[in-house]
Amino acid sequence: MAKAAGTIAALVGFVAATSTAAVENPAEVTGWRLLEGALDLTRGVSSYTELTMTIHRPSWEREMAISAWTRGREDALIRFTAPPKSAGVATLKRGDRMWTYAPRIGREFSLPSSMMSQQWEGSDFSYNDLSRTDKYLRHYDVGIAHTEERGGHTIYTLELIPHDDAPVVWGKETLILRDDYVILAQTFYDQGLEPLKRMQTLEVGELGGRTIPITMRMSPVGEDDRWTEIRYLRADFEADVDDGLFTTFALRGGR
Amino acid sequence: MAVAGVLLLNTLLRGMQHDMMNTAIDNLTGHIKVLRPGYLDDPGIERSFAAPADWQRDLDPEALEGWAARIRVPAVIMSERETRGIQLVGIDPEQESISFLRTAAFEGERLSGADDRRLVIGQRLADDLATLAARRLVLVTQGADGRTREAGFRIAGIYRAQMSLVESAFVFTGRDTLQDLLGTQAVTEISIRLVDESHEATTMEALATVFDDLDVKSWRQLEPQAATMVAFADTSIYIYFLIVMGALVFGLVNTLVTAVMERIRELGMLRALGMRPRSVVAQVVTESSLIMAVGVAIGIAIAGGVFTLVADGIDLTAFDDSLASFGMRPIFVPVAEATR
Repeated sequence: MAKAAGTIAALVGFVAATSTAAVENPAEVTGWRLLEGALDLTRGVSSYTELTMTIHRPSWEREMAISAWTRGREDALIRFTAPPKSAGVATLKRGDRMWTYAPRIGREFSLPSSMMSQQWEGSDFSYNDLSRTDKYLRHYDVGIAHTEERGGHTIYTLELIPHDDAPVVWGKETLILRDDYVILAQTFYDQGLEPLKRMQTLEVGELGGRTIPITMRMSPVGEDDRWTEIRYLRADFEADVDDGLFTTFALRGGR
Repeated sequence: MAVAGVLLLNTLLRGMQHDMMNTAIDNLTGHIKVLRPGYLDDPGIERSFAAPADWQRDLDPEALEGWAARIRVPAVIMSERETRGIQLVGIDPEQESISFLRTAAFEGERLSGADDRRLVIGQRLADDLATLAARRLVLVTQGADGRTREAGFRIAGIYRAQMSLVESAFVFTGRDTLQDLLGTQAVTEISIRLVDESHEATTMEALATVFDDLDVKSWRQLEPQAATMVAFADTSIYIYFLIVMGALVFGLVNTLVTAVMERIRELGMLRALGMRPRSVVAQVVTESSLIMAVGVAIGIAIAGGVFTLVADGIDLTAFDDSLASFGMRPIFVPVAEATR
């Protein structure tokens, strides 16, 4: 779930929050309420967003342009539009399942579970980061580890501990969340509780009428020269999205 | 010397052969295995079967060393850092006295029973996944209904096998646990280990009548590569024997001819003294036979000596990986008796 709230949000623009929905009485806030609140805000949203993804490595850097459509919180279509080498590559997510389309070989395929933890298009995000949904919430114990006031907001640090039999490899996840549900940072720990990768919000701003994290960066801990950055350019959270988009036909580029 | 060489080579090849056979049988194969037809081509939970409770009734209990009913499915295993494809095997640890698990070295704990909800993984896999005992791994596999199942499991212990290929391929958990996860009551294989290979044919017949709609296969059919290697070792023993003996024959003839040529005058004198030609030949033949007998005795003694020296095995651990690809252990143990 943390992944749903964090990364899906980052890529697809789900976690959009408005100040009117901010938590009013901090004494009653629980970790669950914060997470659910963040999700509830976006329930049933259809959106269209344009963003850039920058993959940075010690010896090279690559920037790609992406268009993404979402329907509800379960379905998404993500298509690369630039550079020409990547244009047309698309990923479709419906519920738990994902397909990807590679124009160069002209066919789409359903992602096998063995690939889900691999890197998505060479970035620091895994397919799992894209596909996890809120039903993974039940696999965690959520608690508020820390609360502080900063810049007129209450900042919560949530600690998510997966249950013993949870299909989660991490030992722990922490999520730093503002009281208007803007996620500021997310860290994944191994089972020795060493941090492994971290996502940080570098810029929060208004887009499509909502306050959202505009720029987010995912990076393996301890490797400052490797990161993937996502930056929203355009967002429409009330877009009229055609149901036909969430089909493997649309994945191929047919409209 | 030649005799010693041939004998040693023989023991080593036999050892190798023996080893390949045992490795093949130890690696969860057993002498005989009962499988659903098609399982070998496309293993998965959809090719499972339910064993009747009394399936062993027609078998000769004397011939059976043990048996194990297992459920084995392909799965993907994930740690925080890595993902690997493995064979997930649900076992009843009580029954696994017939496989390599009985003797494998362990770090941590063994599975406590068929309902143990933990994993046992190989050292190589643990290294690959960068994980440790008591940590959690996530398994993803296909359930009986065709849907994906995933769950986290703690590692009970880490085993060491003789081959690192085995260590990276097999992950064990309790059989009941795995059946629960997959949503089935069935198993995918029953593996039977015999006291001796000579009981194979009769046992297979008895099994074929009990499991009339299933495949009953011997280890030779299941591990054709190992079986071929065993047969190959047999043939090569004869070929080596022929080559070495052939060379030996020329050497001996040469020695004999030289000996006779050198003593042609002495022999001539014996003839002149009135010895019959037949006696002269008999004398030469007796002499060389005696020398040969002594030589053979010394050869056997040397071979026996070296054999005892290396009886514990020749350590070839440095070539572990390449040997493993032939289904052999890194320790080379010579065996004096024939495999069949």
